Amino acid sequence: MGVFVFLPLILPLTALPIARLAEHHLHPRTAVRLLTWISVSMAVCSSLCLGLLFVVGTAQIPGNPLPDNWSDPEVRAAVPFHEEVGTAAVIVLVTVLTMCSVTLRRHLRIRARAQQALEFVPRDSDLAVLPDGNPYAYAVPGTPGRIVVSTGMIDSLADDERRALVAHERSHLANRHHRYLLATQLASCVNPFLRPLQKAVAYGTERWADEEAAHTVGSRRVTARAVARAALVSQHVPAPGFAAFAAPGPVPRRVAALLSPEAPPETWPPAHSPVGLAAMVAAAGTAASALSALNAAVALLLVLKAATPL
Amino acid sequence: MDRSRGDAGRRPRKRGQGELESQVLEVLSSAPEPVTAGWVQQRLGGELAYTTVMTILSRLLAKQAVSRSRSGRVYLWLAASDAAGLAAIRMRRMLDTESDRDAVLASFVSALPPEDERRLRALLAGSTEERPAAERSAAEREH
Repeated sequence: MGVFVFLPLILPLTALPIARLAEHHLHPRTAVRLLTWISVSMAVCSSLCLGLLFVVGTAQIPGNPLPDNWSDPEVRAAVPFHEEVGTAAVIVLVTVLTMCSVTLRRHLRIRARAQQALEFVPRDSDLAVLPDGNPYAYAVPGTPGRIVVSTGMIDSLADDERRALVAHERSHLANRHHRYLLATQLASCVNPFLRPLQKAVAYGTERWADEEAAHTVGSRRVTARAVARAALVSQHVPAPGFAAFAAPGPVPRRVAALLSPEAPPETWPPAHSPVGLAAMVAAAGTAASALSALNAAVALLLVLKAATPL
Repeated sequence: MDRSRGDAGRRPRKRGQGELESQVLEVLSSAPEPVTAGWVQQRLGGELAYTTVMTILSRLLAKQAVSRSRSGRVYLWLAASDAAGLAAIRMRRMLDTESDRDAVLASFVSALPPEDERRLRALLAGSTEERPAAERSAAEREH
């Protein structure tokens, strides 16, 4: 078992460079898929390792299912620092499971409430325009998914901008962006080091939808204008903090990206470029994470088998 | 009371609360003037018990989808909104109570800190000829 069991918990750090570089150097579709894949793999490895440490940790709980001679010196030597780490793992695993279930339940609840709200709006179109002066626009996933736009939002956009808005939301539904969002949210509950990846994926899905909308409408400029105008009319509460020193938020970055002549190509970046290198580092980190988790699992199984009297 | 229970039992299939609310709301919004619960019951084809109609009406009242006024010994009911209006009310309530909805439903735009607003206006100004119509409507809404 040894130190390998701890590696998957910190290996997500190897994915930070790619999470940072993907925004500017990868096509959003590539970035979202790659980062989600890395995120989910790393989270699975992390939780496997937490689970193994948890098994070790239960040794102190009366009535645990571990074999009786678990406290033999040989077993203790094979499973280092099991007491402190085991206890910590029990606490961490319980916290992680709680956070995951809270996230999942919130996700399902919000989806259900949004679907419920739209239940009786005629289904002849996937677009539901609701009489509400507050400007908002959402994609509500489901079978079939629906787009909700308030009249407040519709009224503040010109015709071609409305088409861009609807195309953007349709892209969210058609490409099932909600699944990427949920998967990476759960992953970052398991391991907080995966949080930058989650943010990059959330931003990436918006960029992906923006690019598709620009393609549908046939104009990057119109799409940029739609995003900018929608953001300016939305009366959101400003985020607290020193806003003046903060890096530009997602909306100005999206608009700036749309105003650039074209999106990064969908082809894979060359290996010698910084982003290619970062992708390889992240891939190596994911592979190392998987191997370590597997190694630790096999080691624990062997110890358990050896310790079980037959 | 007995009749109402009998009626409930004879209903062809169990319908969701929401579907009944929607039907009652539809009938009510088609009414030319404030009407009684009995009128609503009749327009629904007499399929629902009077007490059921009353329950649905008071549920819609709690959701502020209908309003009522007393006329002599009965209440007169008036629809505050149609199906889209009811959906808007429900949506509004969900958006107001769920602080994390942007993380679940992909929102078209996210929160805009003041500095971002300045950046955005600069990007807009530098990139595009303005659209007078949309500008005007946006300006009107602000007043």
